[in-house]
Amino acid sequence: MKIEKAPKLEKVKTYSIITLVLVILGSAISFWVANRIDYYTAELVHTEEVLQSTDKLYATILERETSIRGYLLTGNEDFLANYENSITNGREVFNHILNLTEDNPVQQNYLQELNIFMKQRLDVFERSKEYYKINKTLDGFLNNSKVEDAVNGHISIKNLINQINAEEERILIQRNEILINNVNALPFIVGLISFFSILMGALTLFSIFHYNRASKINDQKIKNYQETLKEKIELLNESNNELKQFAYIASHDLQEPLRKITSFSDLLKEQFDEKLEGEGKHYMERITASANRMRQLITDLLEYSRAGRDSMESIKMINLEDILDSVLDDLEISITEKDAKIKYENLPTIEGKETELRQVFQNLISNSLKFSQAGIAPEITITASNAPIELISKYAQLDQSINYYLIKVADNGIGFDQDYADTIFTIFQRLHGKSEFEGTGIGLSITRKIIEKNNGLILAEGKPEIGATFIIILPKP
Amino acid sequence: MKTKKSIRILVAEDDDDDKLLIIKAFQKTLSIENITCVSDGEELINYLHKTSNSENSQFPIPDIILLDLNMPRKDGKTTLQEIKNHEEFRKIPVIIFTTSNLKEDVQMTYKMGTNSFITKPGNFKDLVKITQEINNYWSNTVVLPD
Repeated sequence: MKIEKAPKLEKVKTYSIITLVLVILGSAISFWVANRIDYYTAELVHTEEVLQSTDKLYATILERETSIRGYLLTGNEDFLANYENSITNGREVFNHILNLTEDNPVQQNYLQELNIFMKQRLDVFERSKEYYKINKTLDGFLNNSKVEDAVNGHISIKNLINQINAEEERILIQRNEILINNVNALPFIVGLISFFSILMGALTLFSIFHYNRASKINDQKIKNYQETLKEKIELLNESNNELKQFAYIASHDLQEPLRKITSFSDLLKEQFDEKLEGEGKHYMERITASANRMRQLITDLLEYSRAGRDSMESIKMINLEDILDSVLDDLEISITEKDAKIKYENLPTIEGKETELRQVFQNLISNSLKFSQAGIAPEITITASNAPIELISKYAQLDQSINYYLIKVADNGIGFDQDYADTIFTIFQRLHGKSEFEGTGIGLSITRKIIEKNNGLILAEGKPEIGATFIIILPKP
Repeated sequence: MKTKKSIRILVAEDDDDDKLLIIKAFQKTLSIENITCVSDGEELINYLHKTSNSENSQFPIPDIILLDLNMPRKDGKTTLQEIKNHEEFRKIPVIIFTTSNLKEDVQMTYKMGTNSFITKPGNFKDLVKITQEINNYWSNTVVLPD
């Protein structure tokens, strides 16, 4: 049977895990990128603030100059208040910028420089203010070099602020670029991961569908196979029954000509006895003996084909001692003849058909009687015990979940080579010549057939010139 | 042994050898005129229909019928049934004489009204013994209808 190739469930699991990992990774990357966008947006706002603050600072510086100039020109005290105000504001703004650019050493340097210039300018303002307060004029205070200093100082401050702004603008552009890159990258990354996630998800789904379909097909195939098997078993049973019938009919029909051979030789002997002499008589005897043997074979074969067949006889509890009692009754003549001693006690009760069990023990005991050693009285011992589990587990044909009896039939006969332990149960197999021991070689086959039909097992152990032991394993009722 | 009257036997047997053996065996106690043979059930029924009670009849009514089970055309069971269903013929005792020793056959034929069931013996001596017993029983022991 060809089994449909199905993706292994493991594979489907792997796909699902990969999909899950991709989704988690995608979420993490998206979150990270979003965080970066957030961060750089904050940085941009920060830079923007620095720029605004420098503008504000420059405005306070200009206001400071305009105010002091106004005071020095008019002597109006209002200008002085404005001047003081702008100084305070300027300091605040300056400190604010200092804080904002804390992490930028370039800006800090510029700010330090700016501070020095601003202080110099302020110093000049203070001094001219003091001078004016006392003299009510700046005459004598201003000279060319001082004016030049003033102009240069202002230009320096302006330049520095421009430089600070330039630096901030450079940072602004740089950050803006990063921000744009991040914003642009986000949909790309999300898209890419989503794409792979969807792909993996689809693959997982496809695998599951494929798996389900394949297992459905396989189920159907197994079902079909089981049906075929059932049909085959039915056919086998049919042909088995036919074979049984054939064996029966063949044995029956074979009896017919045999009966005639015997009968006509009888008739021949009866009517022409005086005319037959010497070899003629001998041949007649040979014909009769052969015919008798053939009849025995056919009878046994018939019995073999019948053995273990479903008969009308009911299965019941049977005590083996009762069986042995009646078997020994039947065999009384040969037991007495051979002076045999047969011992048995404490035999169990088992489930079976009486005729079958009787046949088993009849076969085994007559077998022991037949194969006794010349000049030694046969001794046959029948014992029973519980079969050990180790023994049961050795045979696959036995049900490991139930208990068995172990019944032994041991004799002191001629025994056999252990190599033949299995051969002796095969139909028509004999270990000895017909002239030594008569028999058809079917008895033990029948015995085995019956035991096996009763879900048991029979084994043989033998030692030449010591004896044979037949071991029967039968289920406990 | 005091023989009142020789019995007339009708043997239905398809096998020529068996027929010969049965005749040979019966000849030990009966004369050949008292033994009639037919080869199957059909012939047997035909024969019975031709019989009459008259003294010099060519087809005398048999005292007993020896019936084989396995026969061509009409087998023993069907023939037995026909005999036992017939107003006149049913009075004739029937002995099933067959190779079969099946319990079912024995059971069934007795139910159908056979008077005896005999399995053919394996040798001639036993056959002779059986024919003697049949003859003795049906001619001496029992009383047969006219």
